Amino acid sequence: MSALRIGSFLYSVLRLSTPLIFAALSAAICEKAGLFNMAAESMMLWGALIGVMVNGWTGSVWLGFLGGCCAGVVTGLLIALATVKGKADLMLAQIAINLASGGGTIFMLYVVTGDKSTSAMTIKSQSLPKIALPFLKNVPIIGRMLNNQNLLTYGAILAAILLMIFIKRSRTGVHIRAVGENPNAAESVGISVSRTYFLTWAISGLLGGIGGVFMSMGYTSAFTKNMVAGRGYIGLCASSMVRGNPIGAMLCAMVFGVSDAIANQLQLTNAPVDLVMMLPYAVTIIVLIIISVIKIRTHVRKIKNKASQVV
Amino acid sequence: MNKTKRIENTFDVVRILIAILLAYLIALIILALISDDPWNVISLFIIGPFNSKKHVGDIFTLMIPLVFTGLCMCYVYAINKFNLAGEGAVNLGGCLAACVAIALRDTAVPGWIAIILCIIVGALAGMLSTAIPAIADQVFHADVCVISLMLNYILLYFTTYILKNVIKDQGASVTASYKLGRKVKLANLIPGTQIHIGLLIALACVVFVAILFYKMPFGYKMRAVGVNPSFARYIGIPVGSTIILSQVIGGAFAGMGGSVQILGMFPRYKWESLTGYGFDGLMIAVLARKNPVLVPLSAFLIAYIRTGASLVATKTQIPPEFVSIIQGIIIVLVAAEMFLSGWKKRLIFSAAKKSLKEKEAKA
Repeated sequence: MSALRIGSFLYSVLRLSTPLIFAALSAAICEKAGLFNMAAESMMLWGALIGVMVNGWTGSVWLGFLGGCCAGVVTGLLIALATVKGKADLMLAQIAINLASGGGTIFMLYVVTGDKSTSAMTIKSQSLPKIALPFLKNVPIIGRMLNNQNLLTYGAILAAILLMIFIKRSRTGVHIRAVGENPNAAESVGISVSRTYFLTWAISGLLGGIGGVFMSMGYTSAFTKNMVAGRGYIGLCASSMVRGNPIGAMLCAMVFGVSDAIANQLQLTNAPVDLVMMLPYAVTIIVLIIISVIKIRTHVRKIKNKASQVV
Repeated sequence: MNKTKRIENTFDVVRILIAILLAYLIALIILALISDDPWNVISLFIIGPFNSKKHVGDIFTLMIPLVFTGLCMCYVYAINKFNLAGEGAVNLGGCLAACVAIALRDTAVPGWIAIILCIIVGALAGMLSTAIPAIADQVFHADVCVISLMLNYILLYFTTYILKNVIKDQGASVTASYKLGRKVKLANLIPGTQIHIGLLIALACVVFVAILFYKMPFGYKMRAVGVNPSFARYIGIPVGSTIILSQVIGGAFAGMGGSVQILGMFPRYKWESLTGYGFDGLMIAVLARKNPVLVPLSAFLIAYIRTGASLVATKTQIPPEFVSIIQGIIIVLVAAEMFLSGWKKRLIFSAAKKSLKEKEAKA
């Protein structure tokens, strides 16, 4: 394979990974707070739809981006409202939100435009700009890979680093982790658990919303129904493979991006596409099981060590 | 004490009804706001499903797969494990049943045996699908929900692979399997509608599940594990195997649902996406409060709302997806413990006060 082809393959890997990275980060912060985020799916859907709508309405890409972010945050806060204030079961509330968002976005699209499947014909929206990096132009593989990516692709990598710093270093990040370790203990030292949950869901919604904006204003240039297509769930998996470490979640999301890119390439050949598409999910299950086994082993060993020390 | 329990039980039912009414009301308001002819649309949505024999038949045919997945989710939800593989189990059950039907089409096997074989294969497929996350959860302590969500996609791509590479009819204009054949077609129950024998199978399953839930030791063990696993372990119930077994049994119903739906409704197998019946099943189990006897009732309710929505969709341009908003609102309101909890507390409080006064009067 020539350097050019490797470069363009890696380019498409990064492009395909971007929404997965945002979904994974959205799940990662929830995981750090001891929550379980299945709803990145709906955050992304609403982010994608509202982003396109605001963009078309105001004519400004940036206001569209902002609108998409707000939509994601509102979705996150709705979950917080139902589970923290309403004491609803977390899983049920999220399944309900996912169900309602799948249909709700289609319905809203219809109410606003009269079209039931896509905004391509009815809303004039732009894409977020691509960034040219002229100094990389002549570097063999990396130049092709990094040059001319969408702004949000760089944004995704930056977001992972920022989230890592936020969780590790900031005061709020420590609070979030404390609540995740043990909500009662956190409450006893004066951290407001419900406020932390609301904040976590808001940040998670923001990340999901940006992922959605990328779907409709970067990856493609319009909103199509069910365009998120399980990416939120893949993000959840990526984050649970590394137990919520943002950088790790990003790397896992990229692994899914690789398999997406391979599947895209194989679609052009005669290979059984469906079996190829199956692979990343199968790999996830196996990795998840291996990680849990290792976790149990180390846990048991720790207990044994402690016991032998006591004796 | 009994009085409090009674208030709690009746209150639960009233609360669910209020949640449904509220969600329905919101849907009506939305419909009225966006349509040019609100009265017509609303009457179509409310009365439409009952205004002809065919439409009533549509409710019942739509109800059949929902009853199956509802039963599946009753098991899963009763032990508090969110194993969502029921969704993929419907596809796998339907696909493998179609394979069996096609294999037996030109043989001398009589129709009823072929049908039973198809349904058994569907049930086994469903058991396999829910067993994988259940075992991963119980043996390896991996998260059952994540595993089952991933498994759904594996099952989906596996079934589309079989559809496109094994049973695809090259002569058909769209991606579809060979014809399943007349002999496995489930017989029509009421002429003029699409209601098929699957309805009777579904109701038989409800009876079976109800007996297993409330009259057999296994059902008791299962409910004990669901309510309090530590207590169940303490009194000697094998918790792990009970949890796995109940998910596996649940999966059988989801798989059966898929095969019955394929045999009853379609001349060819052509599912290329997840059906959504699995998630609907969870909602039905929530509405039925994990009680299998109430599953047909809540399945009927959902089927009624769906039928109304698709009627509205055919007469106007409004997309039928707006029902999913109703469904979401219903689940959240039913799941939210705080919804109307003040009222419940007041009721229990006043009842307690009253009984206290009676005691004092006696003394």
